[in-house]
Amino acid sequence: MKPDSVIIKPMPSRFKHQVPKYKVTRSDACINCGMCANSCPYGVHERIEGHNKMRPPIDYKCIGYECRKNDEFYCVYRCPRKALSLSLNPMYDALGDCRWTSDMIVATWIMAETGYPPERTDLGYHIGNSGGGFDKLRLKFPDNPPLVEREEISTAIRLNRRDDGRAEVVISTPVYGGGMSFGSVSLATMLSKARNATIWNTFTCTGEGGYPEMLHPYDDHVITQVATGLFGVREETIQRVKIVEFKYAQGAKPGLGGHLLGEKNTESVARMREAVKGTPLFSPFPFHSVYSIEDHKKHIDWIKEMNPRALVSVKVSTPNDVDMVAVGSYYAGAHIIHIDGGYGGTGAAPDIAKKNIAMPIEYAIPKVHNFLRDEGARDVVTLIASGGIRTAHDLAKAICLGADGAVIGTAEMVALECVRCGNCESGRGCARGIASTDSELADLFDDQWATQRLTNLYHAWNVQLVDILQRMGMKSVTELVGRTDLLEHVDYS
Amino acid sequence: MPKKYHIDIKPTPLNVKLIPKFKITRGENCINCGKCTKVCIYEAHKRSEQDIRKIADPYMVACRNCFRCIQECPRGALAKGLEPDFQALGGAYWKPDMFLSIWKQAEDGKVPVSGAGYRGPFTGPGFDGMWTDMSEIVRPTRDGIHGREYISTAVELGRKLNHLEFDGSGALVSKIFNVVDVPLPIVFDIPASDLLTSNVKNAMVTAAEALGSFAIFPSAEISPDMQRHMQHIIPLMTPDSIGANTALIQSARVIALEYSGALLENFAAVRRSVRNISSALVIVRINAATGVEDTIVQLTKAGVEIIHIAADYCGMEVQGERYIKDVIRAVHLRLIDERMRDEISIIASGGIGMAEHVPKALLCGADLTAIGLPLLIALGAFVYQQPARKIVMPEGIEKIPVGIARQRIVNLMGAWHSQLLEVMGAMGIREARRLRGETGRAIFFDEIDRETFGKLFQKQESANV
Repeated sequence: MKPDSVIIKPMPSRFKHQVPKYKVTRSDACINCGMCANSCPYGVHERIEGHNKMRPPIDYKCIGYECRKNDEFYCVYRCPRKALSLSLNPMYDALGDCRWTSDMIVATWIMAETGYPPERTDLGYHIGNSGGGFDKLRLKFPDNPPLVEREEISTAIRLNRRDDGRAEVVISTPVYGGGMSFGSVSLATMLSKARNATIWNTFTCTGEGGYPEMLHPYDDHVITQVATGLFGVREETIQRVKIVEFKYAQGAKPGLGGHLLGEKNTESVARMREAVKGTPLFSPFPFHSVYSIEDHKKHIDWIKEMNPRALVSVKVSTPNDVDMVAVGSYYAGAHIIHIDGGYGGTGAAPDIAKKNIAMPIEYAIPKVHNFLRDEGARDVVTLIASGGIRTAHDLAKAICLGADGAVIGTAEMVALECVRCGNCESGRGCARGIASTDSELADLFDDQWATQRLTNLYHAWNVQLVDILQRMGMKSVTELVGRTDLLEHVDYS
Repeated sequence: MPKKYHIDIKPTPLNVKLIPKFKITRGENCINCGKCTKVCIYEAHKRSEQDIRKIADPYMVACRNCFRCIQECPRGALAKGLEPDFQALGGAYWKPDMFLSIWKQAEDGKVPVSGAGYRGPFTGPGFDGMWTDMSEIVRPTRDGIHGREYISTAVELGRKLNHLEFDGSGALVSKIFNVVDVPLPIVFDIPASDLLTSNVKNAMVTAAEALGSFAIFPSAEISPDMQRHMQHIIPLMTPDSIGANTALIQSARVIALEYSGALLENFAAVRRSVRNISSALVIVRINAATGVEDTIVQLTKAGVEIIHIAADYCGMEVQGERYIKDVIRAVHLRLIDERMRDEISIIASGGIGMAEHVPKALLCGADLTAIGLPLLIALGAFVYQQPARKIVMPEGIEKIPVGIARQRIVNLMGAWHSQLLEVMGAMGIREARRLRGETGRAIFFDEIDRETFGKLFQKQESANV
């Protein structure tokens, strides 16, 4: 269920053109009769009175082969000279990759624009093409589920299960925004994430780069991060928030430190991080003061002492022994164990680390879930998964595998029209203005546009999650946790 | 503390034609408004220098695929796609993106870094079917606190003793074998080829020298001007030609012999004939093939100190179905079973095309790796797998100064060395020697997938029955 603060409004792309999936070709046989322009309801064809030639077709508006069923206006059939033909556009191949397919990116754009899953049926966006993990898991819906009304279904989860007198924090949808520091993303991006988190009664995370003043109105929905470089960490920021996150490692670069290139360490970034402008900033690996669970506990106690209401989240990556680490973190006093899988997102990481180090999240979730359960700790800790959760279906699968909820990062960026070109780190930063502090690029969009796009995306995901729960006959997303019996695997089942 | 191993990298562009990944074409409806030149932050679009009323053809090497020109062109006049020539590079194993990565590393010597998460397949054959593990922060059993400056990538070639023996008076009676140190677990393996001009060969040799490593060359390929660097050349020959190569063997620290069935019979005699010439260590080079582990056990028993297992250029057995990754594992485990693993060093080659393949080969059980094709790609070579292996050296390669070619190879190895340090740092392992066979720091797809999903989903099925 969405909170009342969520209002869905269409928020179209900031660009004139979209990336087209199809290509409409007009041959020389065209006689400029205008039949296509008159019949196409999507505006693919334009004829200007007085011009002796039709304008080139606007490919991205075309809905493709599914238009065939529209006898009354399908241009390829209607053209009296058979001058039009339809094919897949080679442009589409340049967008996306096997994890984030072009269909998935375009579908996410549509969700961010409309607030709902795409009506088009030609986008395969529930699964990617990576040939493993989530892409080989399928949700298994029962034939005769108990009848549940959509309005009865709750997607809320509790984050504090320790019953320790600290804040009772409930989020309305089992998703929150991943840590992205000021410096790695623009202020508009950061601000929109916080505003959306407030609207959705969930959270966003500052990442390791300080707590910009602009976020103060959203304090109750901001997680502040304490990472190994301790950039921007102050008593004041710890006391501001409801959740403090210890970041031990990041899935995209487990075992390596963070690195903000000198170019991105601009005046304002440097001030926030209390560093010198233009110098590259490194967050070391590991915490140089944590070499045991006892050290770890000492740090958690320190946070708890400083902010007696705050919950503590511990973010770790996924080595073979991630289950031990999770249990250790629980015993050290963490409320939330956040595991970030090896294929997770990043603003900059060595390619070798992204591909090779530590295990994908799909293996880590059941490993940690089962181990916590065997230790008798599963019910008193919240397990959050991240690192490759691209769609609402990935989210549902992660929950079935044993997570309580998920953190998303890339999906939010794609909602802001990221194309995943991967150049966030180079030169002036993101060409599309999302992950850049360059004065010109960071002004490519405002936070109102961005907030609505994120709110729409979260809504579209929530709609899909509710659909899934309804088809499962469940009244709460908490019933889905650990239900691997509701999944099947293409290779094994 | 001994002097730190350092690789001198230096930005070194290569003046040959490389293939861009993307292709943008400008339609006839372009009105030369210049919007694309304004929105492109990489300067792929510029006005024509000849006629500033026109926009020049896009400079695709600069394009980073941000789609802004495509989406902002007021007339929708730009079309984009993947460059067919780029897609035709390499093949199923030598993926086109590997070329881009090698070119860049050869140019700047740096670890390739990019934004956004991993974009490739979940898993794959060969080395793609494994991950390296990392040591989690809060584990007290880590290898200690160390930065990368304390990590050593050095390995040894040669035989080591399982233990030392002393006599009653405490004097050492064990004979200590000669070993050769290599400061990084990579040697060059240069096949005989008409494509290799003398400047290229000299660049390989001098790069090996600059790195403190070795280049394996067929003895017939070693020209007189290369012989000044024999300390860093491993001449490869058949056992029959030892006599003919006396001069080379005299100045080499290590030589390599092609395996043949006869060598197994008379290795002792062959080894003696080398020892009569010099104290050079001897590598026996054998093709990866079904049952090679049996042969290697026999060779080890016969006294061979270094084995070079060579798979084909895509990392497949020359005869057989296994990937080099699985061959190395089989050999390593077999030698452990036979309690003779330390009596022999293993060099693995074939399909080592990315930095990650080096630590992965070591985790599977190799002592070091040998590479060839990446060195040629660093110099701008195009490799094609289909219909058959074809290597095309860039036009004008013979005119590239040795210094430039050498620096590009050094850069590539500098980048690989840094990446090896990254991976080892994440694992919490401070010596490359300790990587060997350390499968506790590896995650194999087959195993973890079966353990996780196999258990979860197959169990259910039987429960339903």
